Amino acid sequence: MTGAFFMNIVVNGNQHELAGAGTLDQLLKELEIVPERVAIMVNDRVIPKLNRKDVALREGDRVEILTFIGGG
Amino acid sequence: MNKLKLGGKEFESRLILGTGKFSSVEIMLEAIKASGAELVTVALRRFNRDRPSDDLLGPLTRLGITLVPNTSGARNAAEAVRAAQLGRELSGSSFVKVEIHPNPHHLMPDPIETYEASRELARDGFIVLPYMPADPVLAKRLEDVGCAAVMPLGSAIGTGQGLSTAEMVKLIIADSGIPVIVDAGLRAPSEAAAAMEMGCSAVLVNSAIAAAGHPAAMAAAFAIAVKAGYAARQAGLMSRGDHAVATSPLTSFLTGS
Amino acid sequence: MPGVLPSFLDPAPWLTLARTAAPADVRRALNAAQPGETEFAALLSPAAGELLEDMAVRARELTRRHFGQTLTLYIPLYLSDYCSGGCVYCGFAADRRQPRSRLEHDEMIRELDAIKSMGFEEVLLLTGERTPHADLDYLRDAVAEASRRFAAVTVEAFPMAAEEYRSLSGAGAIGVTIYQETYEPVQYEQMHRWGPKRDYDNRLATPARVLEGGMRTVGMGALLGLSDPRFDTLCLFRHAMQLRRRYWQSGVSISFPRVCPQEGGYIPPFPVSDRYLAQIIFAFRICMPDVPLVLSTREAPGFRDGMAGVGVNKMSIASRTTVGGYQAAAESLDGQFHVNDDRDIESFCAMLRAKGLEPVFKNWDKVYR
Repeated sequence: MTGAFFMNIVVNGNQHELAGAGTLDQLLKELEIVPERVAIMVNDRVIPKLNRKDVALREGDRVEILTFIGGG
Repeated sequence: MNKLKLGGKEFESRLILGTGKFSSVEIMLEAIKASGAELVTVALRRFNRDRPSDDLLGPLTRLGITLVPNTSGARNAAEAVRAAQLGRELSGSSFVKVEIHPNPHHLMPDPIETYEASRELARDGFIVLPYMPADPVLAKRLEDVGCAAVMPLGSAIGTGQGLSTAEMVKLIIADSGIPVIVDAGLRAPSEAAAAMEMGCSAVLVNSAIAAAGHPAAMAAAFAIAVKAGYAARQAGLMSRGDHAVATSPLTSFLTGS
Repeated sequence: MPGVLPSFLDPAPWLTLARTAAPADVRRALNAAQPGETEFAALLSPAAGELLEDMAVRARELTRRHFGQTLTLYIPLYLSDYCSGGCVYCGFAADRRQPRSRLEHDEMIRELDAIKSMGFEEVLLLTGERTPHADLDYLRDAVAEASRRFAAVTVEAFPMAAEEYRSLSGAGAIGVTIYQETYEPVQYEQMHRWGPKRDYDNRLATPARVLEGGMRTVGMGALLGLSDPRFDTLCLFRHAMQLRRRYWQSGVSISFPRVCPQEGGYIPPFPVSDRYLAQIIFAFRICMPDVPLVLSTREAPGFRDGMAGVGVNKMSIASRTTVGGYQAAAESLDGQFHVNDDRDIESFCAMLRAKGLEPVFKNWDKVYR
């Protein structure tokens, strides 16, 4: 069903070719990111963890994947 | 010692730690343990695939620490609200430190954006701790819109100028119905003690500990100072004793008993 | 059924200190940087009474720091002596002293103009408890007329709803004075024999409604002598502090009316001496350095002269407490409305200047309203 299907999106400011179904879960798997460790925005909208499986990425989407670092 | 009550939760420690500027995650964790802090601030940045070991969420959660995501990096209220929502998603806690400093040099907080972000976040159920200029009127405004505490700066972030805003902080404390937490600019434990003696409910310290020769030891020293300052205030400090003397009696017009 | 003193006003934790504080407690209170109930209670004690001169020195220093070397002057205008109330201590209770009168519109204008020509810029408009003769509409008309002539118009009348206060504020009033009389619920019930004033809880909630209704300032006070003055002044202190914290954009001021023997023969059970009244005023000044403290012409000239600038920063003068008193040479009243200091403005101002105090009639203009 998926075949040679690619999509261009922007992840953390960089171009990224996404292979596969194009969901956020897919993206995290591809990037080898533990889902509980990050928070995600798509096109400036915060996506709650519960809704990640429902978000279908589209060509040109801007994804921000964020985590905690030290800060005052 | 009474517990610190914040956002419907109680905390033994009145020292809140910032986690920035440490030379490594290990040193930062040691400092947190040495400080006894139960609340620490963290910031949000893009996940870096090349440095997954910088993960803070795991170690801090294992220590039983309550995370207070800050919104630093946000330049306006809309960005701060988004940052807060991301922080809540990630931490699972409703605490947020609203920190909006558009000027990258002096890092002074923007009062207007901070007010607007705080108002929206409080409405959205966050436990809002706004980092603000030491302004007594702004403090009441923030209280009115539902902040859980106010965090007036002691002096500009990282400058270590101490409690340069002491007189303003005293006014804020006198009028405030919510906890007052001095944040930023404290350099030495004595300054933290002074803030507590003045009536602050807690202090937030970052640079003074992260930049110390031995951060964990400095963190322990700050913890002692915060306890001492708080205990002194509860014990009732002796007054300074400066007052004028009249040249002729003012009460001679009052006869009788 | 007597009302209930709410816990945020309850003075119980400090009453013992107010009766038994040691000289060391008093000295600590005199110089405290952030005085609260503990300091206030210590300053009410007999030990503080022994240090009255020290209290006066501190009170004068703080009055000067916050108000400069000035004294603000205002004048009361009694619009109507109709009253439906039944206060035991007052000669104007509904079952006493007939006949009653009120200023009709033209008379009111003449009274206002007479006061204005005396040099005043702040007027306090008074009525008794709510009656059809002197109701909200009547008061609003008076406020509007006064507001055209004076820089500051305040009102001392009957408790109202917040929306009613808002309408008075819209008409130009900047403040309302309303005394709790006494915070002690049982005594309060005994003093107020009938009518709406009997409602203790409603009276207590009135200052908050004043500020809720947008007034810039609320004048508070207890009628000293009705109950143990330590009890009442501690409650008053707590009440004022609570209102300041909640209505931080508004101000409070405090007055110190003492019960006077009234025509009907009421003798106050806890009479307050001159010395103790001075001590109370000093205690308020020391613990609330930036709050206006007000003395009326109910007090004698010697006392007023001594207190001017020493704690007290605002006084009435040249008062007439009869309706229409500024036009006609009316008879003077006894009891609660007796004018003890009947000096004219010039003499009073000369006294103030001799003490190094500048009389001030106007504190602000309402150009931007």
